[in-house]
Amino acid sequence: MVARKKPSTMVARKKHYRPPGKKKEGNASRYVTRSQAIKQLQVTLGFFRRLSILKGIFPREPKKKFKGNNHTYYHVKDIAFLQHEPLLDKFRDIRAYQKKIKKAEAKKNADLATLLRTREPTYKLDRLVRERYPKFVDALRDLDDCLTMVHLFAALPAVERAKIDVELIHNCRRLSHEWQAYVCRTYKLRKVFISVKGIYYQAEIEGQKITWLTPHAMQQVLPDDVNFSVMLTFLEFYETLLGFVNFRLYHSLNVKYPPILDPKLEALASDLYALSRYIVSNTRTSTLEPKAASSSPSEQLEAKEKEMQADESELRLAQLQHQLPSNEPGALMHLMEGAECENEDDQDTKECKRLFKNMKFFLSREVPRESLLFVIPAFGGVVSWDGEAAPYKEADQSISHQIVDRPTQGHRYLSREYIQPQWIYDCINAWIILPTEAYMVGRIPPPHLSPFVDNDAEGYVPDYAETIKRLQAAARNEVLPMPGVGKEDLDDPQNLLVEGYISRAEASEAAQTKKKMVTLEKQYHEELQSELQGAVMKKSKQGSTEHAKASEESVPDPKQIAEDIETMSKLGMSRKKRGLLEAIEKRKERNTARISKLKERKKKLKSSEN
Amino acid sequence: MGASKKESVEVNKKEEEENKNRKKTQPTKKEKLSTEESLLHKKQEDRAKNYKGFSEDDASEDFKSVEKSEAGDSESSGDEGFHNTSSNEGLANESQSEDSEPDQGGEESDSSEDEVAPRNTVGDVPLEWYRDEKHIGYDITGKKLKKKERQDKLDSFLANVDNSKNWRKIYDEYNDEDVEVTNEETKLIRRMLKGKAPHGDFDLYAVLGLVRAIRKGLIKFDKPKEEPRFYMLWGDDASSSEKTGHLSYIPAPKPNLPGHEESYNPSLEYIPTQEEINSYQLMDEEDRPKFIPKRFMSLRSIPAYENAVKDSFERCLDLYLCPRVHKKRINIDPESLKPKLPSRKDLKPYPATCYLEYKGHKDAVMSISTETSGHWIASGSSDGTVRLWEVETCRCIKVWEFGEVVQYVAWNPLPELPVLAVSVGQDVFLLNTGLGNEETQRKVKELLHVATSTALDDSGNKVSAWSWLQDDKHEGIRLQHFKTVYSVEWHLFHPTRSIFFVSTKKNVRVYDLLKQKLIKKLETGLREVSSISVHPAGDNVIVGSRDGKLCWFDMDLSSKPYKVLKCHPKDITNVAFHRSYPLFASCSDDCTAYVFHGMVYSDLNQNPLIVPLEILRGHAISNGRGVLDCKFHPRQPWLFTAGADSLIKLYCH
Repeated sequence: MVARKKPSTMVARKKHYRPPGKKKEGNASRYVTRSQAIKQLQVTLGFFRRLSILKGIFPREPKKKFKGNNHTYYHVKDIAFLQHEPLLDKFRDIRAYQKKIKKAEAKKNADLATLLRTREPTYKLDRLVRERYPKFVDALRDLDDCLTMVHLFAALPAVERAKIDVELIHNCRRLSHEWQAYVCRTYKLRKVFISVKGIYYQAEIEGQKITWLTPHAMQQVLPDDVNFSVMLTFLEFYETLLGFVNFRLYHSLNVKYPPILDPKLEALASDLYALSRYIVSNTRTSTLEPKAASSSPSEQLEAKEKEMQADESELRLAQLQHQLPSNEPGALMHLMEGAECENEDDQDTKECKRLFKNMKFFLSREVPRESLLFVIPAFGGVVSWDGEAAPYKEADQSISHQIVDRPTQGHRYLSREYIQPQWIYDCINAWIILPTEAYMVGRIPPPHLSPFVDNDAEGYVPDYAETIKRLQAAARNEVLPMPGVGKEDLDDPQNLLVEGYISRAEASEAAQTKKKMVTLEKQYHEELQSELQGAVMKKSKQGSTEHAKASEESVPDPKQIAEDIETMSKLGMSRKKRGLLEAIEKRKERNTARISKLKERKKKLKSSEN
Repeated sequence: MGASKKESVEVNKKEEEENKNRKKTQPTKKEKLSTEESLLHKKQEDRAKNYKGFSEDDASEDFKSVEKSEAGDSESSGDEGFHNTSSNEGLANESQSEDSEPDQGGEESDSSEDEVAPRNTVGDVPLEWYRDEKHIGYDITGKKLKKKERQDKLDSFLANVDNSKNWRKIYDEYNDEDVEVTNEETKLIRRMLKGKAPHGDFDLYAVLGLVRAIRKGLIKFDKPKEEPRFYMLWGDDASSSEKTGHLSYIPAPKPNLPGHEESYNPSLEYIPTQEEINSYQLMDEEDRPKFIPKRFMSLRSIPAYENAVKDSFERCLDLYLCPRVHKKRINIDPESLKPKLPSRKDLKPYPATCYLEYKGHKDAVMSISTETSGHWIASGSSDGTVRLWEVETCRCIKVWEFGEVVQYVAWNPLPELPVLAVSVGQDVFLLNTGLGNEETQRKVKELLHVATSTALDDSGNKVSAWSWLQDDKHEGIRLQHFKTVYSVEWHLFHPTRSIFFVSTKKNVRVYDLLKQKLIKKLETGLREVSSISVHPAGDNVIVGSRDGKLCWFDMDLSSKPYKVLKCHPKDITNVAFHRSYPLFASCSDDCTAYVFHGMVYSDLNQNPLIVPLEILRGHAISNGRGVLDCKFHPRQPWLFTAGADSLIKLYCH
């Protein structure tokens, strides 16, 4: 014993030595690498990946990476959390069951295999959703990725090799439409931006800004270097999450969640329209219901039955209305108004609701229908399209705007304006009705600007942003009851637009020339003065050449002084602070470089125009 | 279970009766049997399915109908009764032990009768009602079915006696006809009597397996109730606020929002020109912009984004693979990072502007030295001359020519002996400057004649062997070394104590001369020390290095630098403390000289205060060298700098 003990005590003196069996300390005890975690959980890597995606477990950064830089570290508690997950056992069971089926098939026992297939164990993710997002707000906060993914898959083709089946895509489509219908119905949409990557939408629900991207309605290409199983695992969770979120949102509107849609509209692939109708009709019945429900518990059963009947009858009603001559706007308008009155909205929502009020839109064939059908009603407009099941036809005289995206428009109704779809999006982002001149058919529309950029913070304001700003200011004035304002001022925004858009360049140029003139004048005056004093000056100069020279050299320009002060103040800093400061300065420099580049390009463009 | 038992009993009854009637049976149709058999096969194939469809009610009904149809004949068969009792008992026992089996048989018999519809359509009414009628019922079209003429009982009996196949005949009262039992049917009946399953190819064990499966609940007939897939998950948010004992969740950072340049129709200035796009190709992979703005004239012309799936996938990877850390994004005002120093105005006077220039040298001025009184300076240059200047008038008073590069010049620190030491190549000259009154001149001459002085404070000469020579030309002494005099090692004396500083390449060694011991080793951490200066109070040392760093050592504090100032991008050529003002300076090959305020407090608890004051420029670079030397004026806060551009400059406050 003694002989054994001796060397161990000797070794224990060594720094960092840990005798076998003793617990680890520090970061090594708190973190494990991924391979360690997999070993501990006794799962395969794919399994672990799936589980961690579903559970939302992510690697963490230990202060000291005890195994080196190129390892992924997980917290021990996270791994323990995974280990206690019932889903882990469930997955194991499923795997064992799959083996059974395989075995039956291998033994050519088709009966057994089919029998087993009918009773495959399934799992649910709802508990995980609740666990990851204990509050509804949490779920909303993390909804961005979920929505983007679901919208993307809604636009993907079904591919067998990537295990993307039709059912999945239909489900994604359904979920995305349900979400859009809610946003549209509650006027929660705030910003829209058409980028090259797709269309960005931003909604504000319960104070959370939720941004998502929908791809353009085109055939998507599936790249080969993408691991779809990872994406599908994410999607699996996202589908569940969005389903529950939608349920909760629909519930808040008193609408039954898995919505029952008008089959005719559904068949025509205008789900969104069908959904919005569904919501509208359901909210109307539900506003009446609370009376019945509150009366007595014994009557609640009856009420429920009634509700069922009401649902059915509503559906039938919707269908009936649908079959009515569809250019009867009264019914639809009535529905909309009825739904509006019941909830008290915040200021933004009210404003959004008002934007396209009293406007009636008609979409031509070639415009992106899905997006516009979502966006226009979300801002209080009424919209119809060219096709079956549309609420009203192109010939409807009350249509105020027709959205067209083709070089020329053949037959024109005089009572309406023909505009390009960008007008809608620009109006939405500006929150005013923009003049339509620039968006006429056949013209190249003005630049489409991102509503997500804070121009002032960025340091560079594009021209069109400024014109929009002025138009907004003008619109605000218009709203205020001002006695002095006549008709001319009302026309103003349009004039402003044209003027602003074209003559801004001239204005800035004029300012520059003015500046130049002023400096020239100054120079001239100075020269005059120097001529007057010329003789005296020369004499004094000759007298003190050396001194003057020295003093001339020694008086550095103010730039140099400022720079010197900068460097000197840096001298006394600690290295960390200096690094920080340098980083800040670098960033500033990059920003200014970017902006100056933009300005330079603009200048060049202008010079080439002229 | 109770229901099935009851059925089994009923079946037994039926069998009994059939058994009795066996001899009285009449011929029947064969088609009926064939259909029955085909059905049977089908049934066995998908038995599992049939189980679901099977309902106990119609089975029992069918049994009843069979009973009724045979009820009429039962009276006439009395003789065979005892024959059957024994078998009957056995049957009962068996059926009790396995009550599932007759179940199966019953089912099969009933479905076969479903297939061939009875011609009579009166339904389930007592046949007595038709006893007195001429018809027995109606066919499917509603026509009356006439009763057959009743044979005389005697005739029938006689006919039966004669006919050997009489036992096969059975009278069907409902349809009013005689049915003949075929061989297969008799076999079937026989098997039933033995208590076996009626059909030969019936696998009892398969059925048993199914039965067991049903009992265990493996096979379920009623579909499990479809639970609603979605429900109110976040019903009451208040209850969910309890903390899980888990780590904090770090939400993933949201993807960046698109800027103006990502628009499908951006402002024109956001679109790079073709040249710029081409220049991106030359860039490093990391620096290259990932997204090149493009303009589309209308909405309809936007193509599908080719990286949509890939971007999404990459986001997925980020979400589950990237380590997440809570990071505080601090919005720092860059001004707040700068240390708070007293303003420069309060620290005046210090040299700030170039006041005078001393011109005359033809080449770089290597070294300068100020006289103790501050009236004169001497400078040595690489053009081989040493010049003596008057400070206030920039007048050059005297020039000595050596013909070799003058490395270093130094004044005698004693004011009464204005002697100048000059190191040139391998030699050191002690020169009589010829300043001062006659008294001093005499003294100097005496000194230089005797030439025994060793207390001259000149530049560091590692002297192994030297010789004294009288130098007439320069009116001084010449110390001739056998090796070239370098300024590799510097040494200085402590101003007040008998302490001696020697600088090696990286460290500064401090020796006590009295004890002849090493007191301290100052670790500079620099690459190569180029210059050193000691604070007039003696406790602080500054060291300049070839990598442009300036170290301030507080000897009381530690052997590590108190502060390192990285001020010059190039070599520091010299550092200097002012004798009386709290100033120090450094000059460097980057043509600048820094002036610092370096206040040392008598209070030991207070650290020295170092404030950079001014950057002095003016010298031009020549041969890659800038300012070669700097010295403070001994009385005034003025700084002399010697440049490689053959100028000496005086900076005043």
